[in-house]
Amino acid sequence: MERSSGHTRMLTRACLLAAAGAAASVMGTLPVCAADQVNQERLLNVDKEPGNWLHHHQNYAAHRFSTLKEVNRDNVKNLKVAWTMHLGGIEGGGIWSHGGLEGTPIAENGFLYVTDGWGSVYKIDAHGGRGVLVWKMDPKTDRDWAGAVACCGVDNRGVALWGDLVISHTLDGRLIATNKETGQVAWQRTVADPDKGEVITGAPLIVKNMAITGVAGAEYGIRGWIAATDLATQKEVWRTHTIPGKGEPGSETWKDSDNAAAAGGGSTWVTGTYDPATDTIIWGVGNPGPDWDNAYRPGDNLYTDSSLALDATTGKIKWHYQHTPNDPYDYDSVAENVLVDIPGPSGPRKLALEADRNGFAYAIDRTTGKFVWGLPFVKKVTWTKGLDAESGKPIEYDPNKPVQTYVASVTPSRTNMETDICPGNMGGKNWPPTAYNPDLKLWYIPVIESCNRIKVEVATPDKLKAREFWTGGGPSQPFKITGSVTAIDVTTGKVAGKMETPFPNLGGILATPDLVFSGQPSGEVMALDAKSLQKLWEFNTGGGVNAPPMTFTVDGKQYVAILVGLGGAWDKWFIDATPELKKIQPGSMLYVFSL
Amino acid sequence: MMTFNRLTAPIGVLLASVVALNFLMLTAACGQSAQAPASDSTNAGKAVFSRANCVGCHKWHGNGGGGYGGDALSLRKTELTRDQIIETVGCGRPGTGMPFFTRGAYDEVKCHEMNRQDAGAQMPPEGGTFLRPKDIEAVADYVIAHIKGAGEPTYAECLTFFSSTSRVCDVYKTEPQNPDRATANTGKDQ
Repeated sequence: MERSSGHTRMLTRACLLAAAGAAASVMGTLPVCAADQVNQERLLNVDKEPGNWLHHHQNYAAHRFSTLKEVNRDNVKNLKVAWTMHLGGIEGGGIWSHGGLEGTPIAENGFLYVTDGWGSVYKIDAHGGRGVLVWKMDPKTDRDWAGAVACCGVDNRGVALWGDLVISHTLDGRLIATNKETGQVAWQRTVADPDKGEVITGAPLIVKNMAITGVAGAEYGIRGWIAATDLATQKEVWRTHTIPGKGEPGSETWKDSDNAAAAGGGSTWVTGTYDPATDTIIWGVGNPGPDWDNAYRPGDNLYTDSSLALDATTGKIKWHYQHTPNDPYDYDSVAENVLVDIPGPSGPRKLALEADRNGFAYAIDRTTGKFVWGLPFVKKVTWTKGLDAESGKPIEYDPNKPVQTYVASVTPSRTNMETDICPGNMGGKNWPPTAYNPDLKLWYIPVIESCNRIKVEVATPDKLKAREFWTGGGPSQPFKITGSVTAIDVTTGKVAGKMETPFPNLGGILATPDLVFSGQPSGEVMALDAKSLQKLWEFNTGGGVNAPPMTFTVDGKQYVAILVGLGGAWDKWFIDATPELKKIQPGSMLYVFSL
Repeated sequence: MMTFNRLTAPIGVLLASVVALNFLMLTAACGQSAQAPASDSTNAGKAVFSRANCVGCHKWHGNGGGGYGGDALSLRKTELTRDQIIETVGCGRPGTGMPFFTRGAYDEVKCHEMNRQDAGAQMPPEGGTFLRPKDIEAVADYVIAHIKGAGEPTYAECLTFFSSTSRVCDVYKTEPQNPDRATANTGKDQ
């Protein structure tokens, strides 16, 4: 009660200040409080409010690093559950028997904003050492429509904040703005179209009053894009396709006569990053389609499997770096690019780091898009002998070959119709985010240590149908899959440590000054020593961890929060690689820990 | 996990024309369920088709299809008889991802003349739910009446399956043609 009334007083003061300024805009029925307005200034300077977690990836550079250190190496063994909250959203729909939780909570001034797989947004008051639901916005997602074309689960990775609005996506293609105080929908706009196989699973990125949206659907013959919506006018500012149109630069990398580019994939379903110094958005692009029949689409297939740098104002492509040209493995490059500056011989090196599904970690010069270093971060890679030291391309890559074969004996192709690949098609590293400790210059990768079996099915144009799979084959799981947290020293580009885990890392990572937090799909949330990766604390949630941890403060006290509820692609398509996980029940729960 | 073993070769259902097919389907839908669903004797089987998650791999339309998890056979193109469908649902398909739905299959109830030991690595997965013999007969009747031999899915069929609660059927209103696929000539086609 005391904390509650104290919070009310604080809000009242903020509202009075806003009113005195006569600048408050009123969206709903309640007054808007200046202290809770999120603007570009605050999003650029999140280091000034370390108790909040305002970005999906914590900051624009996707460090997922918090300077909070009340919980630290010495006392983390005392970390315990502070409170929990059951959420909803595990209903099935389309081809899915249930939903799961993959979101990163957003924290602002003692309130959490989280989503469930079907895109319901929950505002939770975290004051007073407990969680109280303030409101829930249920977008009433069309489950059968969207769930039938969601390749990899009923997923929603979270919200963003802008002004007095909570900005979120739904699987059925909408961008929704919800009044932060009332929970009422202020407006919504259709951005993606499930009739074309397009769905949205990622959290929006807010850049200069725009919401940036990525799309999923490369397994359903989409032509991928990244779109910017003006949050003030609700109009589209730009939409950049990840596959060039006819005659545009890059279109020459689609050499077939079946117009494969028009259904060529290139999804963008992981939230990207933003470099304000150059006004550049850096965003990962997924696999080409059909996934495993690369002879259907001869050529390098730009900009699939690439990191793409866009002018944030216009959406124009500044540079690209492609990791797996003419990909026959489903090795997406959708992963977040982590923006890191490290000292170099001639001034700071401005890098973009990406841990690719193909098993290699890359550092790219984010000014020029040129390769700096790359190395395998998984224990086993069979599809290539390594990267060319100059270009970073797989050494078997031959730009004159229309269809790449890499290590041909293991590569899926029309003459190698059933084959085993390492990493398996989930990667390497999938969407679960990395974290970067800028003090230690260590970059932590949530790893799926895997191989799996690919069977190729020759694609023909008549097999391309709206809302039906367009994969040119499929995976199966004859091999056990495990995981690790792998640390890379960004100053040297070498692996600094690997903490192996019995199960793949399907959740992602949080870094603090001397700790690393992560989880396991078997239920454990754990804290590791930031340098040695030695496990210092563990708690079994009894569910499956499929989401990243984050941290925040309320009234000066530090909490660690994580959503728990196994869903996503794993328990439908990959469970045979981890048979023990068949006993993990669907669930939907928020765990919050404190000392 | 689904695999790709096709135990039946797909047979083409020869169609005089799409128009004729649509007419047939509309007639069938109107006559059997669209107007008076309560009177359709296969409604119980349709409920099983959803509840036992047949839709998870074979999709609502039964066409299955290749994909991320592999290839579920097309029930529209199947040549299986009612009895064979009943056996397949009850026992699954050894060596494939098609689960068995009879409680005790390969244990108390022999399937394909095999018990669990005989099946070994070919042992099919266990269904997410067990079905009673009456449920299995019902779902087989539903497949025979509404899916087997039905050609490409239609709007009327889709509406019959989902009612009007979802936009899942909109794509069948016209020819299933994605406008994006005809051309990819500009960056602003949405």
